[in-house]
Amino acid sequence: MSVRTLKGKRRWLALGGCLAWLAITFFPLYWVLITSFKTPIAVVGGPTYLPFVDFEPSLTAWSELLSGQRGQFFSTFWASTIIGLSASIAATFIGAMAAYALVRFTFRFRLLSALIFVVIAFGGFLLGRHMLGYGQGISLICSFVAALALAVISSRFCLPGPELGNNDIVFWFVSQRMFPPIVAAFALYLMYTEMGKLGFKLVDSYIGLTFAYIAFSLPIVIWLMRDFFEALPVEVEEAAMVDNVPSWRIFFGIVLPMSKPGLIATFMITLAFVWNEFLFALFLTNSKWQTLPILVAGQNSQRGDEWWAISAAALVAIIPMMVMAGLLSRLMRSGLLLGAIK
Amino acid sequence: MRKLLLASASLGALVMGSAGTALACDPDYTGVELTATTQTGPYIASALQLAAKGWEEKTCGKVKVVEFPWSELYPKIVTSLTSGEDAFDVIAFAPAWAPDFTDFLSEMPADMQKGADWDDIAPVYREQLMVWNGKVLSQTMDGDAHTYSYRIDLFENADNQKAFKEKYGYDLAPPKTWKQYLDIAEYFNQPTNNLWGTAEAFRRGGQQFWFLFSHVAGYTSHPDNPGAMFFNPETMDAQVNNPGWVRGLEEYIRASKLAPPNALNFSFGEVNAAFAGGQVAESIGWGDTGVIGADPKQSKVAGSVGSAPLPGSDEIWNYKTKKWDKFDHVVQTSFMAFGGWQAAVPATSTKQEAAWNYIQYLTSPAVSGQAAITGGTGVNPYRISHTTNLDLWSKIFSEREAKEYLGAQKEAVTAKNIALDMRLPGYFSYTEVLEIELSKALAGEVTPQQALDSVAEQWNKLTDEFGRDKQLAAYRASMGLAQE
Amino acid sequence: MTRNDPIKHFFIWPALLIVLLISIFPLVYSLTTSFMSMRLVPPTPARFVGFGNYLDLLQNPRFWHVAGTTTLIAVISVGLQYVIGLSVALALNSKVPGEGIFRVSFLLPMLVAPVAVALIARQVLNPTMGPLNEVMTALGFPNLPFLTQTSWALGSIVAVEVWQWTPFVILMLLAGLQTLPDDVYEAAALENATPWQQFRDITFPMLLPISVAVVFIRLIESYKIIDTVFVMTGGGPGISTETLTLFAYQEGFKKFNLGYTSALSFLFLIVITVIGLVYLAVLKPYLEKHK
Repeated sequence: MSVRTLKGKRRWLALGGCLAWLAITFFPLYWVLITSFKTPIAVVGGPTYLPFVDFEPSLTAWSELLSGQRGQFFSTFWASTIIGLSASIAATFIGAMAAYALVRFTFRFRLLSALIFVVIAFGGFLLGRHMLGYGQGISLICSFVAALALAVISSRFCLPGPELGNNDIVFWFVSQRMFPPIVAAFALYLMYTEMGKLGFKLVDSYIGLTFAYIAFSLPIVIWLMRDFFEALPVEVEEAAMVDNVPSWRIFFGIVLPMSKPGLIATFMITLAFVWNEFLFALFLTNSKWQTLPILVAGQNSQRGDEWWAISAAALVAIIPMMVMAGLLSRLMRSGLLLGAIK
Repeated sequence: MRKLLLASASLGALVMGSAGTALACDPDYTGVELTATTQTGPYIASALQLAAKGWEEKTCGKVKVVEFPWSELYPKIVTSLTSGEDAFDVIAFAPAWAPDFTDFLSEMPADMQKGADWDDIAPVYREQLMVWNGKVLSQTMDGDAHTYSYRIDLFENADNQKAFKEKYGYDLAPPKTWKQYLDIAEYFNQPTNNLWGTAEAFRRGGQQFWFLFSHVAGYTSHPDNPGAMFFNPETMDAQVNNPGWVRGLEEYIRASKLAPPNALNFSFGEVNAAFAGGQVAESIGWGDTGVIGADPKQSKVAGSVGSAPLPGSDEIWNYKTKKWDKFDHVVQTSFMAFGGWQAAVPATSTKQEAAWNYIQYLTSPAVSGQAAITGGTGVNPYRISHTTNLDLWSKIFSEREAKEYLGAQKEAVTAKNIALDMRLPGYFSYTEVLEIELSKALAGEVTPQQALDSVAEQWNKLTDEFGRDKQLAAYRASMGLAQE
Repeated sequence: MTRNDPIKHFFIWPALLIVLLISIFPLVYSLTTSFMSMRLVPPTPARFVGFGNYLDLLQNPRFWHVAGTTTLIAVISVGLQYVIGLSVALALNSKVPGEGIFRVSFLLPMLVAPVAVALIARQVLNPTMGPLNEVMTALGFPNLPFLTQTSWALGSIVAVEVWQWTPFVILMLLAGLQTLPDDVYEAAALENATPWQQFRDITFPMLLPISVAVVFIRLIESYKIIDTVFVMTGGGPGISTETLTLFAYQEGFKKFNLGYTSALSFLFLIVITVIGLVYLAVLKPYLEKHK
C-alpha cells in the first residue's frame, strides 16, 4: 500500500467523482451500441433505452455494414489496421530516439544554417520550377538535397548570429503540428502525384500514407517522450556510462524499459491519432488503402442521418481500439510495478 | 478440414468454369478494370454496384466502385481532375458541380445519343442537364425534382375537412398555391397533439437552399422568361433580391415556424424522418420522402402517403417589366432541385470506351428501371418508362399511393414550366453566401429583404471576380439558352 | 546535464529527415501561393498579389469572428479538460476502488474518431429522436435548442470536446504521476502534511512539466477543431460556431480558393505560434524554479 493511497471519506468522494465521470463517458457509447441494433423505425419513433424492454433489437445495420452495402468494409478495416500499427510503432520508436537525443545530448547550431536551408530549399524550388522549367518533382528533390547538404556543411563553420539549441529543435518539431492541415493535405497530395510522375507511386499506396502519418505523429511523440525521459533519474545512466556501456545500449537496455508507461501512453495516443485521421487519408488514398474514418464519415450522407448505420460503423472503428486499450493498460500497470521497485 | 478445402476448391473451379463457357463477352472487355467513384453507399453507390455485377457478367470486364463521404466527394474529384492523375474512369457526381468539371470530361459517344433508349430519357435531362455548350458530357443516372407529400389519412378525415373549410373558406386538398400550402401547415400545426404543419430543410449545409428555391421558383420562373430565376440572362446581374425572391423567402421563413421544434437543424434526412414518423401533415422534398414514408419498416404512416406536384402561383414576377404578372390560372412550376446524379468519364481515363459502355448499361431502361424501385439505390425516376410502369411500383406502394407518386414524379420532369437548378462555375462560392444570409434571415437577425440584398451584392462581386462574360456564357449554357 | 557523443546524430536524424521531407513541400507550396490569387475552380491563372490575400483577410470581419470563436472553444474546453483530467488522474493514482476498470474505460472517448463522436453527439442531442431532450423535458425543462441557438451550440461543442479529450489529459497525467518518486511523499507523511499541502507543494509542481506539455498540445490541437463543428452544426446558426479550420475548409475545399486559404493558414500559424510562445514564456519561470 503506497503512501499516496487515499483513505477514509476522501476515498469515497473520489470514487463518487469517478463513477459520475464513468457515467458521462459511457452513456454516449451505450447509446451508440443500442442504436446500432435498432431498426430505422425504432430510431425515428423517439428515444428508447433498453433492448427487449422498450424496443426489439435487429441486426439490419450490422448485416448491411458487413455485407459491404455501406462501403468496402473489410478492405478499409484491413488497411486501417496495417497502417495504424506500423505507423504508430515506427513513430513511437523513431520519436523516442529523437526525444532521448534531445534530452541527453547537446545540439548546437547557428540560426544561419537553418536559414540557409530554408532559403535554398525555397529558392531552389522556385528557380527550378519557374526559371529553369524543370518539373515540380525534380526541382523539389534537387533543391531539398542541395539545401540539406549546404546547411550541414555550413554548420561546420563558425557562423555569426544567434545560436540555437535543443529547445529550439523541440519547438520546431512541435510547430509542425501547428500548421492547419487543409492546405498541407492538398499540397502533400500534389507532391505525391509529382513523385508518381517520376515513377514512385505514393498516392494510394501503403508507403505514402504510412510515411505521412509517421511524419505527422513524430512531433507529438517527441514532445511527450521528452518529458518522460527528463523525469527519469539520470544516475542510472551515469553509472552505466562509468562502466563504459555504449550509448545505444544504455538507450535500448536501460532507458526504454524504464520509460515503459510513457512509451505505452505515447504509442496509444499515436495509434488513436493515426487510426482516426481523416483528411490525409481522404486525399492520399483512392481505393486500395482507404481507411475506416472515411467509411464512418460516409455514413453521414446527403440523405440525412441514418443513425443505425452510423452507429454500427462507429462501433467497428471503436471496438479494436477498446481491445487495444485494455491490453495496453495491463502493460502500463506492470510498468508501474517496475517504477515501484526502482 | 482438408476435405472442406478440396470441396470449396472444386466448387470454385466449377463456378469459374461455368462462367467462362456460358458467357460470350459482348462487347469483350476482358482484362479491363474500371474504377468508378461516388459517395458512400447505399444511395447511388449501390446502383453502381448492382449495375457493375451485371456489366461484369456481360462484358467480362471489372468495375471497382470507390466510395467517398458525400461532403468530400467534390474536393476529391476536383483534385484528381486538376492534378491530371488517372484515378477514376467513371465519376458519379452532383450536376451542380458539372460547370467546374466540364473542361476535364470526355464527350458521350455519338451512338449512345440516339435510338429508343435515348428518347426515353425525360427531355429536361436529355436536352438540358446533360448538355454543356452543345456537347453531351454526362449521363443522368437519377432523377431529382422536388414534389409535395401529404398524409392522406389526415387530409381525408371528415372533422379536419369541416374545420378547415370553416376556417379558410375552401376545401382541404393538396395545395395548388404556396398560400394554400401555408394555410394547411398552419391548420395542422398542433404541437399539443404532437403534430406539426410541415417539414422542410432549414439547416446550413443541409440542403436548405433547395427548399428555398422551390418556394421562389413559383414566383420567379416566368414562362416567358426562361432561365431568369437566378441571374438576368442578358447581363448576369443577380436576381436574388427581386420581389419574387423576397416573397419566396418570407414564406420559407413562415414554414419554419410551422415545423417541429428545432426544425432549423433539419436537413432532408430529418424531413423524411419527421414525415415518416408521423410528426407532420405535409412536406416538400425529393422523391425519397414518398418511398421512405410508404415503407412499413421505416415509417409509421405507410399506406397513407399522398403525393402531388409542387404548389404554384397565379402571380409571377417579371424581371423585364419589373412587375407582377397576373395569370388567370395557377401556373404550376416544377423545380429541378439538385437535378439528379450524373455519370461521366474524365478525359484522363485510358479506358473511355469501356467506361461509357458501362454507363450505358447502368442507365439502360431495364437496369435503371429495376434500380428505381429497389429501396436504397437512391435512384428516382428519370426516364419516361420509369413512371409509366405501375406494376414495378406496386411492390412498395399501395395502388393509390403509386398512382399519386408516379403522377407527381412524371409531372415534375415533364411540366410545361420547369425551373432548372443553379449550376455555375464557382458554385460553392455562390451558395455559401446564400447559406450564411439565409441562416441569418431564418434566425430573425435580418429581414428577408436585407438578407437577399446582401446576397445579390456579394453574388455580383463574385461574378465580376470570376469574369462576368465567362460566367454569363456558363449560366446561359447551364440554363439551356443559346449563346448570344 | 547533457553530453556530447557523435551517436546523437544517429538518434535524431531519422526523425529530422522524415519530418523535413514531408513538411517542406507543403510549406513552400502554401507560402508561395499565399502571395498569389489562385483558384482551381473556376480555373483562374495564378496572379501575384503580394500581401493582398493577407490584407483581405485582416479586413474581413468573418476572419476575426471565426478566430474569436475558435479561441473561445479552445480555451474553455482545454481548461475544463485539464481540471477534470487532473482530478480523475489523481483519484486513479491514489487507488480508488475499481481503479483498474476506470483506467481502461476512461480512455475510450479518445479512441473514437472525431467524426464518429460528432455524429454520436448529434444523435444524443437530437430534439425529437435523442435521449437528452427527453430527459430534460421529463425534468420540466423546455425542449432545448442544443444545436440551433448560438450559446447552446457553442456549449454543446465544448462539452463534446471535453468528453472526447479529457482522456488524453488523464492518460498523460497518470503516466506522469506514476513516475513521481514515492520517497518525497513518505517524507511529507512524516511531517504530517495535509493532502492539500501535499498536492500544492509536491504533486502539482512536480507534475508541472508534463502538464505544460499536455495543455500545450491540447491547445494546438483544439485550435484545429473542425470535424466536431462540421458535423454538429455545420458552423451554424449563420456563422456563429464557425472555426478557423472550418473556414479554411470552406475556402479551400469547397471554393478551391487556394491563395486565400494559404494566407489564412499562415495567419493561423502565426497566431498559434504567438500563443504558444507566450504560453511557454509565461510558464518558463515556474518550470525553472521546480527543476
